[in-house]
Amino acid sequence: MSFTFRLMLRDIRSGDLLTLLLALVISVGTVTSIGLFIDRLQLSFEQESANLLAADRLVRSDDAIDTSWIEQASKQDLQFAERTSFTTMMFANNALQLSQLSAVTDDYPLKGAYLVDEALFGTGQAFTGTPEPGTVWVSSRLASLLNITLGDAVEVGDVTLTVSKFLVRDPGSTTSSFAISPRAVMNMADLAATNVIIPGSRVRYSLLLAGDRENLTQYEEWLLPQLQEGQRWRTPTQKGDRIGDTIGRAESFLLLAGTLAVVMSGVAMALASARFVKRHLMQVAILKTLGATPALLGKVFLQQLVALFIVGALVGLGTGWLIQEAIASLLSSLMSTALPAPSVSSLWLGTATGLISMLVFCLPLMSHLIKISPLSVLQPNAKIEFNGVVIYIIGFIGMYALMCLYTKGFLLPSIMTIAIAGIALLVASIGWIAFKLGRSLTSGATSGWQIGLASLYRRLVPNLFQLLVFTLIIMLTLILVGVKSSLIADWQQQLPEDAPNHYLFNVQANQIESINEKTQALGVEQSDWFPMVRGRVVVANDVTIESMYPDGRGEPELYDRELNLTWSDSIGEGNELVEGDFSAEGLSVEQRAATEAGLEMGDVLTLNIGGNRVTLPITSIRKVDWGSMQPNFYLILPKSVLEDYPANFVSSWYVSDSNAQNFYQTMANFPTVSILNVGDVLEQVQTIIGQLSKAIQLVLLCILSAGALVLLASVRSTLEERLEEGALLRVLGARGALVRQALLVEFGALGFFAGLIAAVGAEACLYGLQVFVFKAEANFHPLLWLLGPGIGVMVITTIGLVASRTVLKVPPMLLLRDLS
Amino acid sequence: MARKTAIKVANLTHTVTSNTGDLTILKGINMEILESESVAIVGSSGSGKSTLLGLLAGLDVNTSGDIHLYDEHFSSQTEETRALIRGQYVGFVFQSFHLLPSLQAIENVMLPAELKGDKQARQKAEVLLEKVGLSHRLTHYPNQLSGGEQQRVAIARAFASNPKILFADEPTGNLDEENGKLIVELLFDLNRSQGTTLVMVTHDNGLAKMCDRQLVMSSGQLTEQSL
Ligand SMILES: Nc1ncnc2c1ncn2[C@@H]1O[C@H](COP(=O)(O)OP(=O)(O)OP(=O)(O)O)[C@@H](O)[C@H]1O
Ligand SMILES: [Mg+2]
Repeated sequence: MSFTFRLMLRDIRSGDLLTLLLALVISVGTVTSIGLFIDRLQLSFEQESANLLAADRLVRSDDAIDTSWIEQASKQDLQFAERTSFTTMMFANNALQLSQLSAVTDDYPLKGAYLVDEALFGTGQAFTGTPEPGTVWVSSRLASLLNITLGDAVEVGDVTLTVSKFLVRDPGSTTSSFAISPRAVMNMADLAATNVIIPGSRVRYSLLLAGDRENLTQYEEWLLPQLQEGQRWRTPTQKGDRIGDTIGRAESFLLLAGTLAVVMSGVAMALASARFVKRHLMQVAILKTLGATPALLGKVFLQQLVALFIVGALVGLGTGWLIQEAIASLLSSLMSTALPAPSVSSLWLGTATGLISMLVFCLPLMSHLIKISPLSVLQPNAKIEFNGVVIYIIGFIGMYALMCLYTKGFLLPSIMTIAIAGIALLVASIGWIAFKLGRSLTSGATSGWQIGLASLYRRLVPNLFQLLVFTLIIMLTLILVGVKSSLIADWQQQLPEDAPNHYLFNVQANQIESINEKTQALGVEQSDWFPMVRGRVVVANDVTIESMYPDGRGEPELYDRELNLTWSDSIGEGNELVEGDFSAEGLSVEQRAATEAGLEMGDVLTLNIGGNRVTLPITSIRKVDWGSMQPNFYLILPKSVLEDYPANFVSSWYVSDSNAQNFYQTMANFPTVSILNVGDVLEQVQTIIGQLSKAIQLVLLCILSAGALVLLASVRSTLEERLEEGALLRVLGARGALVRQALLVEFGALGFFAGLIAAVGAEACLYGLQVFVFKAEANFHPLLWLLGPGIGVMVITTIGLVASRTVLKVPPMLLLRDLS
Repeated sequence: MARKTAIKVANLTHTVTSNTGDLTILKGINMEILESESVAIVGSSGSGKSTLLGLLAGLDVNTSGDIHLYDEHFSSQTEETRALIRGQYVGFVFQSFHLLPSLQAIENVMLPAELKGDKQARQKAEVLLEKVGLSHRLTHYPNQLSGGEQQRVAIARAFASNPKILFADEPTGNLDEENGKLIVELLFDLNRSQGTTLVMVTHDNGLAKMCDRQLVMSSGQLTEQSL
């Protein structure tokens, strides 16, 4: 065994190496577990959302799917299926109805399942499989419009199909678009013979894909450059949709949590290294007098660091994996689906964090250690100083780099770094004043108060540093608590239990009263009825939309399709006036749409409504809460303009599971009314929010424990001095109670100020995070101002007293011996 | 036959920079110490004895002048070579012992041999500890030993590398008379039996008289004088 390792083994007994190892394990472990967990959550939600897409990925096209796409899919080992959707006339019993028909291949859906029923207006059971060739599944509404039932024949173009099931839900067609005809689904094998698809027909072709993440990514990379206009690549969760946003914010939180964990473990690492170096300075000097050359010492410590890194990284990765497994298994009982295994590739992040931490926090200190002059042995009382400034600068830059690596961005690290620098300044000034004040208010050493306050001032610099560490950890904790609670509150408020889950539209004015009457007995809740007239923006500020966007590229939503227009006396639920006067005789535009189209108050739009042109100025801008699930409109026009046009009415409903059947049956009396059930989507969002809230709480708990460990390490790093002092006091005849009181005062004061400053910092950080990262509104957090000092005093004194209990227990003789 | 010169110092000056400005601790020192001689350096506190000893052992670089240890010219070497020379020629005993607290007595004594890659380190250390009368305390840690015992371990460690020159900075300063005597006996014993040159800083006139020569340091200058 080499000298290095013999020295190392002997060193392990002293505990210093173990402290360093522990810091490394915490660092690698927390980053790994959070990384793996985020990975796993993403996979899990992607899978769940895939059920709504009926696939892992989907390509949509206005033209028939290219055969090369399919060939490539099988080359990439992907499962695939096809769906072709179009609007067509269906005939039965001399009745005819325009319907939305899909033809699907046998493997459809790749994810999720059809919901079908044998009974008209039934709520449906999951069914794996597709209609057999020669058969068709029709929605209950279509069946009642055509007046057909199971076993009857339906004509589609040149083909006659037999109705074999009632279609309740198509897994791949959850959509909130209002233009839906009654649906039906048939087998792809029958499609060609119908001859309904002719050049020029409006058909939507979809290629559905499922398989390995990596294969999917490769396929995506292959396909994307080939996509043309009218062709779209879709993933289960995208920006802008509800689930995507929810998960996105949860990921932001976890990322933040991970970043804070990185900072915490950086602090732990720096503390442990400083302690290691401090305790080894004299040893290195002695070794040098014995003839150890700087090169040899350099080699010895480098080898030790490498060995430490290997062991620490392995143990850290293992611990991280286990913690993540533990969180996942705790969650799996709460989660509806089993979590998929995390991907191994995310382990590298933990390893990289450990490596950088060592390079940044450990190596610079170690290199100072090696430079110590052997002459120090002759001046036993000489203070060994090294250039702290450089080390702090390297540490700070390293911390920033670590955060950037971790978040793959600069915004979050920058906010955090500025906050930490600000906190350091605050700690230095407040701490200095407070400790000095505490000293000047008391003199003498007869009570624990006096001794405690005096020692705060006497070791001013180390105490200020300790205060900074305490403050940082408490601040990071408060930030997480603050973000967590506002995130969860936000989610819950966004989706109340009784959020509307059905829309009724295509309702004629004369049907409203009768529908209201018939549904009243069911006790379902409904919104107001909104009149709806379709119209299209054709001119904006005297420029035609056609000349503005000749090929439709980059066309804002407000212009690119026919819109549902409405009128209303009041601004309505979920709407908030931003600018202007809602009651003025002009247009009220939704804020996001206006921004996208570059419109402002006073701009003038011309609309084509049923062949007539209407020109109006914008007189108000509204902010709409799209999460409210109320019918919402981009454009609201004055009543005087719209009331002469024929209007349909729309309203949103909350129908509970127990009265769904009755509701559907009642609505069967109004076959022309369209019902859109968004309950599945809502329910899924609610489940996901529930799961995410729990996940976030668990991760928070994990980080808090890591934080407590760092605090403990920090207290331990100044333990020697405290022990020495305590032992001296006891040798001089102080009773245990006095020593305990002094420690209590010292730690209590440190904890109090740390908590107070941390609350200031956390409030400032939360402001930055809410405004810049979560893009939410900033608010004040009174709880933090209570929690900060409270936690500070309680946790720090507890940890302090536990760590220093040896001062009180061990005979002072032993302590003095140990210390000399 | 003329004895070899172990240490030769010519015009040695040493200046340090402190926060109150430059401070010249050693002001033009000349001396020669022969092989297996024993020399005591005495002088008032703060006169520069430890500094001189440190420079002689190559623990630091002098500002000007020359120091030779046998054929090696210290002043012109890098820390790397100076460390190697130390390992080869020099042993050190300190007033405050300076054992490594995390190592057992035997491990402390093994260190110099281990640094040279000597496979026999443990056996040699056992023999040395036996010589200083501590064969029953091999696996004890420094904080389990008394001051005198710690100093004996330190002496064993100093002799572990078979040094040609042994430097001792107030080796008995922290010990009572009886323990001090024991340590002194050990040092002279080894000095005689192994022919080791002994250079010792001390405040104890009795101890100084036991040496072949006495040098007196006063405010950075050295004069030879018999007590
Ligand atoms: N690195 C340094 N910086 C500033 N002053 C120093 C330094 N090293 C030594 N001195 C000063 O030089 C003088 C000589 O120190 P040295 O330790 O050699 O004295 P000494 O003779 O060994 O004293 P003692 O008998 O008390 O051990 C002292 O005044 C000391 O403070
Ligand atoms: Mg001295």
